[in-house]
Order: sequence, then C-alpha cells, then structure tokens
Amino acid sequence: MSADQISIIIVEDEPEFRRRFAQIIDSEPTMRLVGVAANKREAQALIDREDFDVMLIDLGLPDGTGIDLIRSVSQRKPDVDIMVVTVFGDEQHVVSSIEAGATGYILKDSTPADVISCIRLLRAGGSPVSPVVARSVLRAIRSRMGGSTTGSTTTPARSPSAENNPLSARETEILQLLAKGMSFNEIGEILGISPHTVTAHIKKIYRKLAVHSRGEAVYEASQMGLLKT
Amino acid sequence: MSKTPGLPDRATTRPRKIRLRIAARTLTAAVVLFCVGLAHAATIPLRKLDWSYMPPDALAATNAGSDQTLTSFDLPLHWSTVEGSPLHAVALRMHFRLESVPDQSWALLLSQSSEGGRFSVNGHFIGAIAAESEVRHVIWRRPQLLSIDAPLLVEGDNELEVQTTYGPGAHVLAGVEVGPLSELWSRYALRFTLDYVSTWIGATVALLTALVFGALWLQRGESISLLLAVAGLCWLLYCATWLVEVMPVAFRPPVRLGGMAAMAAFDATLAITLLRLSSLARRREEWVIGLFAALGPALSLASSMQADPYLQVSWVPALLLIVAIATGVGLYRRTRGLLAPHPLVLVVAVALVLAGLIDLGPVFGLDLLGGVPATNFAAPVMLAALATPLVDGFIKMMREAEAARAELETRVREREQLLKRNFERLRESERVKVEVQERQRIMQDMHDGLGSQLMSSLMLVERGAVSNEQFAQILRESIDDMRLAIDALSAEHADLAAALGNLRFRMEPRLRAAGMELTWDARQLPEEIGLHPDVVLPILRIVQEALTNALKHSRAKAVRVTLAVEGTGDAQCLDIRVADNGRGITEERAGGRGLLNMRNRAQKIGAQLKIATAPNVGTTVHLRTRIGPVSPTTKPGQTVLNTQAIIERARQQ
Repeated sequence: MSADQISIIIVEDEPEFRRRFAQIIDSEPTMRLVGVAANKREAQALIDREDFDVMLIDLGLPDGTGIDLIRSVSQRKPDVDIMVVTVFGDEQHVVSSIEAGATGYILKDSTPADVISCIRLLRAGGSPVSPVVARSVLRAIRSRMGGSTTGSTTTPARSPSAENNPLSARETEILQLLAKGMSFNEIGEILGISPHTVTAHIKKIYRKLAVHSRGEAVYEASQMGLLKT
Repeated sequence: MSKTPGLPDRATTRPRKIRLRIAARTLTAAVVLFCVGLAHAATIPLRKLDWSYMPPDALAATNAGSDQTLTSFDLPLHWSTVEGSPLHAVALRMHFRLESVPDQSWALLLSQSSEGGRFSVNGHFIGAIAAESEVRHVIWRRPQLLSIDAPLLVEGDNELEVQTTYGPGAHVLAGVEVGPLSELWSRYALRFTLDYVSTWIGATVALLTALVFGALWLQRGESISLLLAVAGLCWLLYCATWLVEVMPVAFRPPVRLGGMAAMAAFDATLAITLLRLSSLARRREEWVIGLFAALGPALSLASSMQADPYLQVSWVPALLLIVAIATGVGLYRRTRGLLAPHPLVLVVAVALVLAGLIDLGPVFGLDLLGGVPATNFAAPVMLAALATPLVDGFIKMMREAEAARAELETRVREREQLLKRNFERLRESERVKVEVQERQRIMQDMHDGLGSQLMSSLMLVERGAVSNEQFAQILRESIDDMRLAIDALSAEHADLAAALGNLRFRMEPRLRAAGMELTWDARQLPEEIGLHPDVVLPILRIVQEALTNALKHSRAKAVRVTLAVEGTGDAQCLDIRVADNGRGITEERAGGRGLLNMRNRAQKIGAQLKIATAPNVGTTVHLRTRIGPVSPTTKPGQTVLNTQAIIERARQQ
C-alpha cells in the first residue's frame, strides 16, 4: 500500500457487477479498494468512515437514487472524483449526475482496461465524455441561459450571452466538437492543444455545470420559500 | 339606456332619502333663523303714514310746504301709477313715540321700499337714497338702513319725513322701522341676504343649470335636458332684470318686459317639464301653455304696459295655476303609482307654487313674509330638484355601463379560458398521439431488432451451437443494438451527429483491437441536423452494419467514415460514406442478410444506398438522404399553435 495508490469505493447494488468492479480494481496495483456498499445506507456509512479518492456509484440503488450521495460527497469532499456507473450512458442519467457533482461516468460493460483508464483519466484531471453527453451538457447550459431546448432545431444555436453562460468560448467549442463525434486527439489537433488538456477542459465544464445547477437550485428553493433568508 | 333619466328608481332611494332629510333640516334651520330675525323687541315698526303731494320741483327745496292735503295710509303700502303719468313728488310723514331719548345711535330700516328719497327726523336731515327722476328709474330691491343720531330724537312724539318722487308702475313701501342701530344693523344684514344675495345665488344656480344641461342637451339631445337648460336660462334672465335696481328711464320698459317674459317662460317651461316627467308630453297642451305664457308680455307690449296692473291680478295668478295644475297632475299620478316626476321634484314644485302665492299676496293685500321674495328662493331649488333625478339617472346609467362592461369582460375572460382549455386539450391529445406513436415505434423497434436478435440467439444457444465466445458476442451485439435505439431516442433534439459520434465511440476500440485504424471525418457536419428519430435509427443501424461488416469481413487496415451535409434548403442532403481498404465483398456474401437489411432500411426512409466494392481495393457504403427543413407535420411533439394570437382574434370578433 503506497501513498500514491488511488483509493476507491464502490456503491453498486447488483452483486455481479460489484464483484466485477472489485476484481478489476484489486488486480490493478496502482489502485486500492477501500470498501463496497450495496445501498444508500451502507454507502453513507462508508463515506463517513473512509477516506477515498474515487467513488464508483450506480444511480439506481434499492433505497433511493444515488444522486443525493453524489451531491453530498461532491460538497463535503471536493477532492473526490465521482464516477457514475451506467448501463447506457444516456443523457438523462449522466447529465443529472454531472449536475449533482459527478465528473465522470463509465458503462457497466466496459472492459477492465477501460475502467482503469477512465479512473486514471479522472485522477489526472480529465473527464471522459461521449458525443451525446457533450450535446446534452451544451443543451443544459443553453436552457439555463433561457434558450429553448425544443426549439433548438428551428432556432439554431443561440449565441451564448456572456453573463449567463458559465462556459468560456474554448469550452463551448470543445463541447461542440465532441458533440460532432470528434475524439480527444482530433479535437486536440484542431485546437492545437494536447488531448489531456481537452479532457481537463471537460472536467472543468462538469464542475461549472454542477456549481451552476447548485446555485440555481438554491435560487429556486428560496423562490419557493423552502429556505429561510 | 332603457329608462328615461329622472324617473324614480328603487335601487337609489336610500341616498335620496338622506338627501331629502338634509334638505328638510336646512329648511327648518332657515325658517328658525328667519323667525329669530323677525323677532324684534326694542324696535318700533311704523304702521301709518300721512301722504301729501308736493310740487314736482319741491324736492330741490329743503323745506317742503306743509299746506298740502294729508291722506292717511296703513303700511305696508302698495300703490301703482298708470303708464305715461308724470313724476309725482310726495312727502310721507310717519310718527313714533319714545318714552325717553335713547343714549345710543338709532337707525331707520326700510325693509321693503321700492323708492328712495330724502329722509329727515324731526325736521333734521338724516340721509338720502337715490329716487326716481326724469332720467333715472329706480326700483330698490335691497333694504336700506339710515342711522339717526340720538340727539335728533325727542321724548314723546317724533316725526319721520320722506320726500320722494315716483313715476309710473307699481310701488311699495313696507317694513319701516326705527330702533337701536346695533339691533337694526343685524336685521338689515339678514334682509339684505334674504332679498338680494339669495337672488344672486339663485342666478348662479340657474346659470350652472343652464350651462350643464345645455351642454348635456348638445351632447345627447334629450328634451328634458333642453327644458332644464331653458328654465335655467329664463330664471337667470329674470334674476338679471330683478337685480338691476337703478337704470336710465328708457331702460325701464324693456327690463320690465324682459323680467315678465322670463318669469312667464320659466313657469311655462316648468309646467311642460312636469308634464313630460309625467309622460304627458302632448303637443297641444304644451302649445297652449306656451302661448298663454306669451300672452302676458304680448299684452303688456301692445298696451305699452298699461295692462300690467290687470295682468298682475289675472294672468300672473293663471300662470301660477298652470304650474299648480302640472304639479297636481304629477302628484295624482304618483299616488296612483303611474309614471310621475320624482317625489323630491313634486315637493319642491308644491313649495314653488306656495312661494308664488306668497309673492302674489301683496297684490291682494296679503303680505306673509314681509316682502321677502319667496319665489326667488323656490325657483333655484326647483331647478336643483329637477336636476337631481337627472343626475341620478346619469349616475345610474354610468353604473349600469360599468356593470355591463365588467360583465362583458368576465364573459370575454371566460371565453378566453374556454379557448385556452380547448387548446390545451388539443395539445394534450396531440401529445398523447405523439406518445402513442413513440411507443409504437419503440415496440416495433424492439420487435424487429433486439427481440428477433435475442430470439434467434436463443435458438442457437438451445441448439448448443454456440461457444462461450460466440455467446458473449451475441449478447454484445444485442446490447449494441439497444444502445443504438437509445441514442436514436436521445437524438430527439435533432442530434444525428452526436448519435453517430456515440456509435463511433463504441466501435472505435473494437476496430482498433482488430488492427483497423478508424478515421472519422465530421467536419462538414453542421452542429445540428434536423431529423426525426424515425429516420435517425435506421441511419444509425446502416452505419453500424457497415462498420460491423468492415470489422468482421473486410480484413481492412483502415476504415474511413465521412459525414457531410450538402446543398441548401429543400435540396439539403446528408451524405455518409463508410469506406474500407479491405478485400471487398465476396460473392457468397453479396446476397447476405446484413446487406439486405441495409438496403431495406434505406428504402424505408427513402434514402439512396450505394455499395461499391472491388476485390482487394475495398468497399464503400454510400448513404444519401434528404434532410430539408423540418415541417411541423413531420415533427410531432412540437405543435405550433399560437394560442395567444387565436384568443386575440376571438376577442376582436
């Protein structure tokens, strides 16, 4: 056990997948499995008890959604990378996880090599993203800015207004290229930056989306009278 | 407006009752004040005078001859002289007794004297008031007050002498009193207010009535408004003639005639108004009344005012009678529950008739109010009373209009709500329809894709014809297919590029594992491509099939996918090429299921599919489909109904 080992916890209710992920991590010398949990309650206890670098979490837990856990961990332990384990990597799950504070996601049937490289990428400051998710993130940010989502076909890409758009021009450009199906390498070539920088940008975008959505949630809550001012 | 304004109306009787009560209290207070004013303890009213003629130029002399014939008269004294008679100079002497000489200033009050003159007490001059002369006509309406120095008075009998002149016409001398100045001063002020100021007030009321109802008549053309305006104008004219007390002699006939005509017109208008308010607007009667009213001035004019004294005792009372009859008709109809003037109007009309009688009293030797012109009070009140129901009517009308508008607004709002609900229902049903379509599409898709794939896999597994490796492969393909479907569903927002990108991300590691380099050229692709999910999924499937074929069969070193949109507007086409540098499609595979599926799918969505293959050169799958602008009908879920515009249009209709 060396200090630069990546410590990981797994929150997953299906035993087969739990075992599979545990196996993948155990067989990787640079990573260390700190604990596993099969439901929210166990997970909460685990989170409170242990220090860890990465949390792999399935959203659909028997005693509730994992979104709450993601939110609390991302707020209490900002250094932790949260990786959502999803069957399809569909936009709905992934975007809401990102908004809650997740910085990565991985498909359940990923090969062991994929899982390891994804975790490494996360710890190295990057985030993986698929085109559909990139597109969804773009759309989520646009809808925040007051642009309509359903109307995006008829009103092509509103120019993001500076005060509402949390993303920089470069970040938006990267998302747009990703949404077209470009790889990190290709985007790096087009923009003249390293693929690593591209993934770092994506992680930043994720963080912004989470912070932005949190601010929005607080605003909405105070609007609804849920918070005392 | 269905009702004539001015008619009684039960809904507004409450405020009117209050108004009546206030009017009654004011009247009581006035009467009390008046009675207090009449009560005089320390003053001495003069009831008798000795009348003697003087030579016409005697006024100039300070000492009048006393050898004239004396005639005694009782006060109040009303007398008249025929038209055309010359000026008469008279000395009028009145006596009063004092128990002792007072120690304060005394005064002489002439409550009602149409004439001026020189006034002396015990032979001492105390003052002069402008009197009739050759060039000046005088008819005083106001009271006069002259102070008497106490030393002029003596114990016992005192003599007041008035030397005056008078011309043709009616004259009056009444309400002559002597007494302490302080006491008479307040009496004088009261009389001045009652006789003179009140007429000014009445004139103002008449002016306002004429202006307001004249304007109303000009705007709305209602006969009642016109009648009221005319009545106001008549009364204003009458007041004007009444208030002019001193004028050149030449002005006397027209002023007198004008006053007479104005009073007659006022009475006639009033009578006609009362009849009309009783809905008895008969032309003939109205003409008769009008002509009768015109008769007096006409006779006066024709006779050079010789007929005036006779008119005063016949025509004037008859005119009053007409008003009384009109009032009586109104009262009768009101008691019968028929259409009649407002009760307030009737009450005031009765009061007006009484006032007229009081004012006529002196002509018949009956002076009830000490010469205070009662009609001058009653007439403006009458005008106000007539105006009240009209104003009430207008207020009611305005309220009705407001209520009607409010109701209309409510109805419009209700209609608006209804329209909105209908459109919401329409939208909802549209949405449900879209959902059903969507569900059918997904079902169809599961049936054709995943379902049949799992089914045939099950057959193979049951036959024991698959190895573990193959089994995993089958499942992987099934999952891939499902992912395609999910990507296609996610591509609801016109995201073919992203869905294709996802496909690339899944396929790239596998191709690389098989030693193939994948080049993905999407630079020609716009950010968003508007395609329906129905079309997106088959395209995804075709591209996946092409990539899978390359992976499984081509043995190529490189695969290149080029995505581009060409053309503009309606002619816009999506152009997809999947090219490998492999061995080409062999004879035995050319008619295979995979290729057949690709062709069928392309056909279904109306796309062109070309497969060019050459042995050891490679295979290119070329898919081309029109994407053109998306019309609303091909994009369910986005019903473009502009509800607001439709409501606006409905509102305008």
